[in-house]
Amino acid sequence: MSDPLVKMRGITKRFGGVTALANVDLAAYAGEVLAIVGDNGAGKSTLIKVLTGVYQPTEGEIFLDGQKVDFASHAEAIERGIDAVYQTLALADHLDPAANMFLGNELTKTVFGVPILDNKRMRSETERVLMDRLGVTLKSLDAPTESLSGGQRQAVAIARAVYHEGLRVLVMDEPTAALGPQETARTLKLIQTLKAQGLAVILISHSLDDVFEVSDRIHVQRRGQCVGRVVTAESNTQEVLGLIVGAEEAA
Amino acid sequence: MTSATAKPPLTERLEPYIAIIGPMVMILAILIFMGIAEPARYFRATNLNLILLDAALYMPMAMAMTFVITLRGIDLSIGSIAALSGILMAFLIKQYGFSVYVAVPIAIMLGALMGLLNGLIITRFNVPDLIGTLAMDLVYRGFALVLAKGLVLARFPDFLTDMGRGQIPGFVPIPVLIGTATMIAGYILLTRTYFGRYTIAIGSNPEAAELTGIAVNRHKVYAYVLCGACAALGGVMLTGKLNAIQATSAPYFNLHVIAAVVVGGTSLFGGRASMLGSFAGVLLLSMMINALVTLRIEFFWQSVASGVVIVSSVALYAWMQKKDRDGAGGWLAGLGTPDGQKMLRFSAALLGILIALLAIGAMFAGSPNPSG
Repeated sequence: MSDPLVKMRGITKRFGGVTALANVDLAAYAGEVLAIVGDNGAGKSTLIKVLTGVYQPTEGEIFLDGQKVDFASHAEAIERGIDAVYQTLALADHLDPAANMFLGNELTKTVFGVPILDNKRMRSETERVLMDRLGVTLKSLDAPTESLSGGQRQAVAIARAVYHEGLRVLVMDEPTAALGPQETARTLKLIQTLKAQGLAVILISHSLDDVFEVSDRIHVQRRGQCVGRVVTAESNTQEVLGLIVGAEEAA
Repeated sequence: MTSATAKPPLTERLEPYIAIIGPMVMILAILIFMGIAEPARYFRATNLNLILLDAALYMPMAMAMTFVITLRGIDLSIGSIAALSGILMAFLIKQYGFSVYVAVPIAIMLGALMGLLNGLIITRFNVPDLIGTLAMDLVYRGFALVLAKGLVLARFPDFLTDMGRGQIPGFVPIPVLIGTATMIAGYILLTRTYFGRYTIAIGSNPEAAELTGIAVNRHKVYAYVLCGACAALGGVMLTGKLNAIQATSAPYFNLHVIAAVVVGGTSLFGGRASMLGSFAGVLLLSMMINALVTLRIEFFWQSVASGVVIVSSVALYAWMQKKDRDGAGGWLAGLGTPDGQKMLRFSAALLGILIALLAIGAMFAGSPNPSG
């Protein structure tokens, strides 16, 4: 296998006296889905927050394309091509999908020297990104985002991340937790699409069914440590479950 | 599901227009009612002019308040800001001989500064909007009283009275032009600028707005500055309209403007803004108050009518926007539930005690003893 796109080495994160992550290594490759699984409190969220620049590690290094990077903020990580779609999606539900996709990053045109929002262009760009990159057509681009289904709202949140041309690593935090079976299937397909476009997708999920359906490799966290890395095709639910709860308890 | 899936239910299809339908229906109701009750006096050109003149005064403030309410704020200090900036302007003109063309912009800038103060108190000191602006209302009103005492400052240059009640011959009053212009500017601001977009985003989901890098507090301050400036403009227009100003002027600007905005469909819970609705709301309130006057109903009933209109329109929006209507079965159905029964007994007990007290009072009542 080629070199990993993003590599975390010896990551430790302490909050006061609590060690949330202890010496964790992680590698994600372009065009691959890496699943991170683990029980509550295993350090999954902390790990990705360190990766996306929300937290700064107490110890350890992150390499992007073999180059050491230090993210002082989430915005810096986004700039370097690492973004995340959170379970809450972070959408302003009263605004339409286009406004959400460009929130904080609006396209403007100049009228009499004054910058004016270019709603028409944002709309067509949104339509294009949703169609070309995600293969999604929304039932309405004019209605507020709150009127869309859970899966479609998620597509808008993902579109916002992938609109950034430099996006290379996309973290998805529990993308299917709030979705019904049909929408879950669609979201998993979406993840495959993003993978095929060469992104490194990091999927955090409690659903082992989803993980086994869509991931290439699985990284198992337990009590702040990485307790196993398996290739999905060579493993099974039993083995991963055993790693999650710990071998001694499972035996 | 009984309704066809091809066509969403009527309420859902109406939803985008909900903000404008509410006040429109009520405006129509007033028009029909007055058309039957008092057509000759209500629909006279001079009376319609009067309605517009009254509404125009509130338009700039309703425009600004739409932004404040949309980002989950509220400004209870606009009445005092209007009075204080009006009085300061009056002193500049009457006592210091300032040109009215400078004094008016100064008044508006003073209002903007007061709005800035409101905004900074709310965002920097983390004082809740309601308490912060309520307290500043007392402060601004206090300053106005300290400065003007009981004085009524009157007789101003023509430019000012033109702003307040001037008429373009054969056309609408000048304040109506000013009010409408601010409303149109507000619409453009809301739909075509960063400020408007971020106002809605912050009101809709503050955490998400923060996460996308929007400067939440800065945009909040902008909204309060706009509100302060527009309140001062309202104060200037009021001074011109009455050709007089005093410290106790504009006592019910706050509730009147908030009512107009809320009646127009802008949600107090943030994120839902309608500039057109605010425009209609202002018109509706002015038409209603004028109707009461036309019908020769005692002035004090206006307060009752305004309250009823606000409650019924907000309840209407709440009902129409409720996503999950199945299972509830109308608002009377709740009476059957155990909790509804308890509520019913509780209300009955309160009423019963009151009636008993009244009965006791009547039983032991002596001869009437007029006060004073």
